[in-house]
Amino acid sequence: MGNSNLLGRNENQPGCAAITRPLRRSLELNAWLALTTATYVVALLLMKHHPDWSPGWKATLTLTPILPGLLYLRKGIQLLREMDELQRRIQFEAWLFAAFGTVIVNTVINVFNAQGLDVKWLEHGLEVGGTYLTMLILWSVGIVIANLRYR
Amino acid sequence: MKNRLKELRAERQWSQGELAERLGVSRQTINSIETGKYDPSLPLAFKISLLFKQPLELIFEPGPI
Repeated sequence: MGNSNLLGRNENQPGCAAITRPLRRSLELNAWLALTTATYVVALLLMKHHPDWSPGWKATLTLTPILPGLLYLRKGIQLLREMDELQRRIQFEAWLFAAFGTVIVNTVINVFNAQGLDVKWLEHGLEVGGTYLTMLILWSVGIVIANLRYR
Repeated sequence: MKNRLKELRAERQWSQGELAERLGVSRQTINSIETGKYDPSLPLAFKISLLFKQPLELIFEPGPI
């Protein structure tokens, strides 16, 4: 095996692949997210400025962001598979925290609204954008908590 | 679960980063195992056993059942 470790990596280059690879993967992941968002915004703008377009065209435009979205998802799964077992557990705990947290936040808002205590800006619940934002915030909090736990 | 990872690593004068690199995991994983905050999976435990050339039961000690 020579200088190679258990995974067959060359020990003469310690940490080289371990440091740069996750960073590159994260950048690729964010690039796909940016492309998905840009496609969505362009599709919305086109539909706003061309209300006369046929329903077929509008449906095609609406579905266009799904393609880069799927590639974003693929990259995310790839990133998850390349993580080591502790990192994967941290991600799992953070996502679980985000999912349950979002459900709780949404339920509380809906209960308030049902009781007539309309929450300002949230009279219709979190809606799609609010749900994504809440999940993102709670996921970030979850990552911090899990990292503190396994520090 | 208790383990002798820190002791075995110290015997070889390896840093946590070096051991992490040899096992293909992050330094955080090594630190969490050493401090008992995280129990490794069976494949990782076997990798550790193979690296230190010691049987599993001499590295890891089960907690109360």
